[in-house]
Amino acid sequence: MSAKPAPIYADNAATSFPKPREVIDTVSSVLGSMSLSPGRSAHQYSLECSRLIFDTREALADFFNCPDSSRIAFTCNVTEALNVGIFGLLGRVLHPGDHVITTALEHNSVMRPLRYLEKTSGISISILPVSGDGEVMVSELPRLMRDNTRLIVANHVSNVTGAVADIEAIGRNKGNAVFMVDAAQSAGVFPIDVVSMNIDMLAFTGHKSLLGPTGSGGFYLRQGLSLRPLKMGGTGSNSETEIQPDFMPDCHEAGTPNTLGIAGLGAGVGFVNRTGLAAIREHEQRLCRLFLESVGQIKEILVFGPAADRERAAVISLRVKGKSESEVAQSLDRDFHIMVRAGLHCAPGAHRTMGTFADGTVRFSFGFFNTEADVTACLTALEIISKN
Amino acid sequence: MSHGPGDNQQKLITMWSPIQQTPTCVVILFSIHFVLKAEKFLKRNGISHDVIPVPREISSDCGMAVEFSCLEKERVLELLASADLRIAGLYRRDGKNSFKPISAEQITANVVN
Repeated sequence: MSAKPAPIYADNAATSFPKPREVIDTVSSVLGSMSLSPGRSAHQYSLECSRLIFDTREALADFFNCPDSSRIAFTCNVTEALNVGIFGLLGRVLHPGDHVITTALEHNSVMRPLRYLEKTSGISISILPVSGDGEVMVSELPRLMRDNTRLIVANHVSNVTGAVADIEAIGRNKGNAVFMVDAAQSAGVFPIDVVSMNIDMLAFTGHKSLLGPTGSGGFYLRQGLSLRPLKMGGTGSNSETEIQPDFMPDCHEAGTPNTLGIAGLGAGVGFVNRTGLAAIREHEQRLCRLFLESVGQIKEILVFGPAADRERAAVISLRVKGKSESEVAQSLDRDFHIMVRAGLHCAPGAHRTMGTFADGTVRFSFGFFNTEADVTACLTALEIISKN
Repeated sequence: MSHGPGDNQQKLITMWSPIQQTPTCVVILFSIHFVLKAEKFLKRNGISHDVIPVPREISSDCGMAVEFSCLEKERVLELLASADLRIAGLYRRDGKNSFKPISAEQITANVVN
């Protein structure tokens, strides 16, 4: 009887796995050595926790070239960060009748808050379309801009197709609007510089390519811009007043934070820095090209999104003719121990542009710890599934 | 994790910092983030300091403050200004539990000079 083959994880766009050793060690040693409650008490455990959080904040500020680390606030994921950003602008930057531009590749963490505001606050929305090769048509931006365009929200890398949006070009043409970037899939793989890209708010998560634990994430907010906090409460600062502090980062960090996750995220950023963004990207792009070139030879398979020679992330959506997406994903998992994701990937708009709504696609997403052997095993499995 | 009596002895000795031999100043910042940012700059520039709980006599805030020798006051204020760290308050320790505020004019004059 042959041994069960080692499982292959190809769902890194959902959450990266495995994590670097130092992330696991950091989380474990922090959990075992201190109380995890920062900025509340004056004892040494509390101070140590505060230092861990401070160090991660500083590391992220360096990583995204934020001029001031106090402009980074932690949240439990990118969804929370985007919600703070979109709802927090209401009444400050966004008013009834104002206009917002976003892209056809947005995740529901952007589209649901925007659609809610459209319905409840009289905000109008225009959508940047996607070209035939699956990329956001930034050239359409000037045509969509209006005098009352107050906000532009753009997904940096699509979690459905791996398409990369030209964030720099959007930043150059944003006019007076606030430019918010969803870096869920890009942070840790593609370079992000909030200054040169003219980004006003950058939302990121810790558990994908920054290689940290789930429950960690945050945002950068440009100096001079303020958001209404989504939650209020204890911050460990200004305790004598019952009014929420108005300064970053405290104004957006009420309640005891996920110290464990933030410490692990710090270790993840450390790993990315030491490995080098270019080396990580190169490895993932090599896996992506290998996969795309070979999967194109299987005639029963239809691949969506940018071609192999475009700059793209290792996130690949496909369909197998005559088989449902869930059937393919289930067979990959059960028969081949390959973990992928099937469906709409919380981005119905992206599937509408590709014509894959409402069935969705099977999504393979490779990470830094995948190997060429993993990709070959995925291709072999797909070949067998598509012929049966 | 437990500490033996030896460890505690060691801690007491370490905490008896030499900066307490000279008059000290206490700077209050807006939150723990800025305290740690200040600490980073002071460490980088080799200035002895302690991160202490905000003394109850100064404020009922439950945060932390930075204490350093008054001999270093000008340098500390310059460093904090260079790091864009806004000061919420500056005090001179007059006694174990007694603090005298240093006025904004004096702070500015010190930085300018």
